[in-house]
Amino acid sequence: MKKLILGGFIAISSLSVSAQNKIEFVEYDLPNGIHVILHEEHSTPIVAVTILYHVGSKNEKPNRTGFAHFFEHLLFEGSTNIERGQYDKLVEGNGGALNANTSNDRTFYYELLPSNQLELGLWLESERLLHAKVDTKGIETQRSVVKEEKRQRIDNQPYATFIGEMFKRMFVGHPYNWQPIGSMEDLDAAQEIDYIEFYQTYYVPSNATLSIAGDLDIEQTKKWIDKYFGSIPAGQAINLYRDFENLTAEEFEAKHGVAKSAFDSKNFMASKDPNAKKVIAKAKNTPTTIVRPAAPTTQPTTVVRDVIYDNIQLPGLFMGYRFPSESDPDMYALQMLNEVLSGGASSRINKSLVEKKELATFAFSFAYGLESAGVGIFAAIGANGVSLDDIEKAFDEEVALIQNELISQEEFEKIRNQFENQFISSNASVAGIAENLANSHVYYGSANYVNTELSKYLAVTREDIQRVAKKYLTQDARIILQYLPKEEQK
Amino acid sequence: MKKLIIALGIIAPSLLFGQIDRSIVPSPGKAPEINIKDSETFKTSNGITVILSENHKLPRVTFDLVVGPGPLLEGQKAGLSEVAGSLIMSGTSTYSKDELDSKIDYIGARLSADKNSLTLSCLTKHMTTGLKLMSDVLKNANFPESEYTRIVKQYESSLLSAKSDPSQMGQNAIAKANFKNHPYGEVMDESTLKNITLEDVKNFYKSTFTPYNSYLVVVGDITRGEAEKMIESYFADWNGPKFTTPEYNMPTKNAGNRVIFVNKPGAVQSYVQITYPMNIAPGDADQLPLTVLNAVLGGGAFGNRLMQNLREDKAYTYGCRSALSIEKEGSLFLAGGNFRNEVTDSAIVEILKEIEGLTDGYATDTELSSTKSSMAGSFARSLESPNTIARFALNIIRNDLPKDYYQTYLKKLDAVTKDDMLTMAQKYFTPRNCNIIVVGNEAILDKLLPFDADGKIEKLDAFGNEVKDLLPADISADELLAKYVSAVTKTSSTKELAKKMKKVKTVKQTMSITIAQAPFPLESTTLWSAPNGEGSKLGGGGMTFQSTYFNGTTGFESNMQTGKKELTPEQITARNKSIGLYPEANYKTSGMTYELIGIENVAGTPMYVLKLNDGETETYDYFDTKSFLKMKSNKIGKDDEGNPQESTTVYSNYKEVGGLLFPHTLTISFADQSLNGEIKEVLINEGSLEDFK
Repeated sequence: MKKLILGGFIAISSLSVSAQNKIEFVEYDLPNGIHVILHEEHSTPIVAVTILYHVGSKNEKPNRTGFAHFFEHLLFEGSTNIERGQYDKLVEGNGGALNANTSNDRTFYYELLPSNQLELGLWLESERLLHAKVDTKGIETQRSVVKEEKRQRIDNQPYATFIGEMFKRMFVGHPYNWQPIGSMEDLDAAQEIDYIEFYQTYYVPSNATLSIAGDLDIEQTKKWIDKYFGSIPAGQAINLYRDFENLTAEEFEAKHGVAKSAFDSKNFMASKDPNAKKVIAKAKNTPTTIVRPAAPTTQPTTVVRDVIYDNIQLPGLFMGYRFPSESDPDMYALQMLNEVLSGGASSRINKSLVEKKELATFAFSFAYGLESAGVGIFAAIGANGVSLDDIEKAFDEEVALIQNELISQEEFEKIRNQFENQFISSNASVAGIAENLANSHVYYGSANYVNTELSKYLAVTREDIQRVAKKYLTQDARIILQYLPKEEQK
Repeated sequence: MKKLIIALGIIAPSLLFGQIDRSIVPSPGKAPEINIKDSETFKTSNGITVILSENHKLPRVTFDLVVGPGPLLEGQKAGLSEVAGSLIMSGTSTYSKDELDSKIDYIGARLSADKNSLTLSCLTKHMTTGLKLMSDVLKNANFPESEYTRIVKQYESSLLSAKSDPSQMGQNAIAKANFKNHPYGEVMDESTLKNITLEDVKNFYKSTFTPYNSYLVVVGDITRGEAEKMIESYFADWNGPKFTTPEYNMPTKNAGNRVIFVNKPGAVQSYVQITYPMNIAPGDADQLPLTVLNAVLGGGAFGNRLMQNLREDKAYTYGCRSALSIEKEGSLFLAGGNFRNEVTDSAIVEILKEIEGLTDGYATDTELSSTKSSMAGSFARSLESPNTIARFALNIIRNDLPKDYYQTYLKKLDAVTKDDMLTMAQKYFTPRNCNIIVVGNEAILDKLLPFDADGKIEKLDAFGNEVKDLLPADISADELLAKYVSAVTKTSSTKELAKKMKKVKTVKQTMSITIAQAPFPLESTTLWSAPNGEGSKLGGGGMTFQSTYFNGTTGFESNMQTGKKELTPEQITARNKSIGLYPEANYKTSGMTYELIGIENVAGTPMYVLKLNDGETETYDYFDTKSFLKMKSNKIGKDDEGNPQESTTVYSNYKEVGGLLFPHTLTISFADQSLNGEIKEVLINEGSLEDFK
């Protein structure tokens, strides 16, 4: 509760593993649309229960930035059957740990539990999905907590605004132009209707991926999943039920045309009243439509330069190029290109900018992949007394070099070995496996992508790397941000 | 306006849902057995203790070599070990840094070093290549001058950027506030970085990276047989000297709360840590019950008191936590978080209240049972990583813990009672003896005043050094020196001064010194002899403890412990920068470096601060801005082992003898001691320097 993640940073660590360490799993859809993925392994008596909702800051309205993340905080407040403050206690008091995070594209909740508490984890997550409950105190508290989170992570940290500043200029007119943390004004503006709409639109079975890994028995787990998640109404019936719980008799009847009393409060979905039955059947068969933003079409057409004054001592340079989405086939070559430039002490940027030219105390690049677009970032914190123009020139020389000359065979072998090592290390924990499986299903269309991803990287050629360097590192169309100490502001 | 936003419980909520009663919390299955896998320990012929934790789940392996005697006092070279650690990977006699970096990256491995470790992690199939590189670094690191220069420049830049990082600034203040005269209290800054030479780095490496008392922790996809073979091939011929492990005084708590403030211009939040040193060592029987207590207060999970109060109830913060750092060399309690400016003082009130609350009454049964479950769960989860098993074994050896310490951990945890927790709280929670560290905006400073026991907030800079609020001086250094000399000699022109001083051949001063710990008063005699001779004796009860002699060209220092030592050429050069009874009159020509750095407010009196350096000792002299008399002298020199030694002398009670003013009361403090000296007698032109030979 929880924290924000920057999608692209995890790209490398969430890669899959080589053939000898195949991740076995079973997957299926519940009739209400929840996608279930189960991975069984018994090396440690723990289990990771995770649920991914395909909603992030890009689904927010432009005047409600930060809402998805704020909402994630609210979903720890409780449910119809869980009092405020009890959610944490139920998990921690039973030997577990819990948290969640929100990116531009998704919201991810998890519990790590002793394996004999798997059923508890399933109940907790099913309560969060079926009928979360938040009161005014909870909303006001979490609103302030999120603002403190923004101050701590962004406003009071040197250079920490650079991603936001970059995206603002890169994705003009698209929801990627704001960050998951949002703005203070928008957080203050959130109204009751926003909570209800957001919950009823995005927190529905068809938008959820339940991924569980660890010391579990697949058959038993399926039974519990049926019990807690299978019983959650499909389509709009979940919202009908939520209205039944939340609205007054008048409000309910006005909205749905049937009196509340027609429904069976003990067994809602099996209500016997013919009018109630009709409404339920209709709602069940009405899918929840989620209008997802199209991929951003605009991109910089010129060099956009800006200076940002910050509470810093050393100047910083941040450059951004428009990259494709994380599932675009070119992204494999771009990730490998990035490894040549920035992977390890022997990488080109470290050798050149930090060690040989001594221009920067710290310099790196990364390929920041999101669901519908990406950004290639080059960043450096200047050494004392160095001009940012010299740093920019040094970056440009590296770009020119990789565009004009094929990387050496040895460098090529090196990055392949580096990728292999990263893949193998990325599935060391059951929590990591559960998350990788869920991401693979949602972003790459198949959970089995965890087992095939490495082969896609190993298929990249040196020529591919040169080709994407030419295609995406466009020197005449990019964002260049200079961070300077506030004292230098005139 | 509705009270409940999403779920408005106007009618009784439908507990039943379909065939399930959703109001029932599922009950757990049979508790799984927690198995702690064994690790193996063996010793190599050259003295390395190897700890092996096999785990074949993934085809990778880690070799982590831990070396050295632990933290050392670095004094004026604070940061030496850190700089040395950064330079270990700078190349070997076999490979340049560039070659080394590309060879490691080529196998997709990681090889990294710091001040007391060298760690390789790689896929098992690349183990041989990796170990070859690791052992090369270990045996042949060659510290090229060019890399040293580069890394020092890097540190200069990163010290600059530390000035804008609130948690870095806070960590530095925590170290300095809690650990006086202790390695944990040393922080590298721009001036200590300058003192670190390449020679120092090489010496550090030689004396630290040695097999004596070293540990090689091997984890992962490797068998005992393979491990032995690898270690034999790559580490058996590694050798080096023994070392002694120094012991340090455990830091002590304050008499009252101290507020320590670090200014971060433009801060929108305050970084707050309420902290104090604790007297507890790893493995102490109190450690586990104290850890349970801390978990209830603010350790780890969300459900603790600090988090519930300051985040979930008051919404002051994104997170407020407490922590225990229990180390062999010194332990610490910490509680805090980041709070917006307006509520910083309220947050401090609440944290102190929560600490105090646990000393006043029992934790609830739920808190106790839920904390125990949470800690047991976290222990079980930690076993997923093969590193944990190895870390357990290393802790047992390094901290002399019982062999079954971790095997019986869950049993011991289960046995902790509410009484134990109250006992621990009363013993270790001292909310009135804290260092309250705040890194934030100066605008909130006044609101912090009520928390400080003596009402004086100490201000530190980004590196934990005291900030003196200096005003610019209104005269030049030379003017100050002239005014001082004129005041003590009661002369008004250089001519008059020369005439008066010409008549003074010797000045002998006898001082009686009282020290709290000494059974009898000590007596010190010093004699100045024109033009630049000086002798001194310190004794008592019929013995002479130490004496010095200098005749302008040669001399000695002698004391009971170390005997007589001739002055070194450097010491003689330094002494000759202070010529005359009033050397201040000659600084211009004697080669002394001096600078008037400003006017400081010392306990309500504005004083000029003059910085001197004679090449051996740095001195800060304080002169009253009205009388121009010298009121205080703060010397930063070195002891015989080259460790920094700071002493402060406060001068008062100036009296006239033979037309000259002499301070008759001196308070001298160094390290933890303080002594009072009263001048009994000042004799002019009596006595001879030869009496001191």
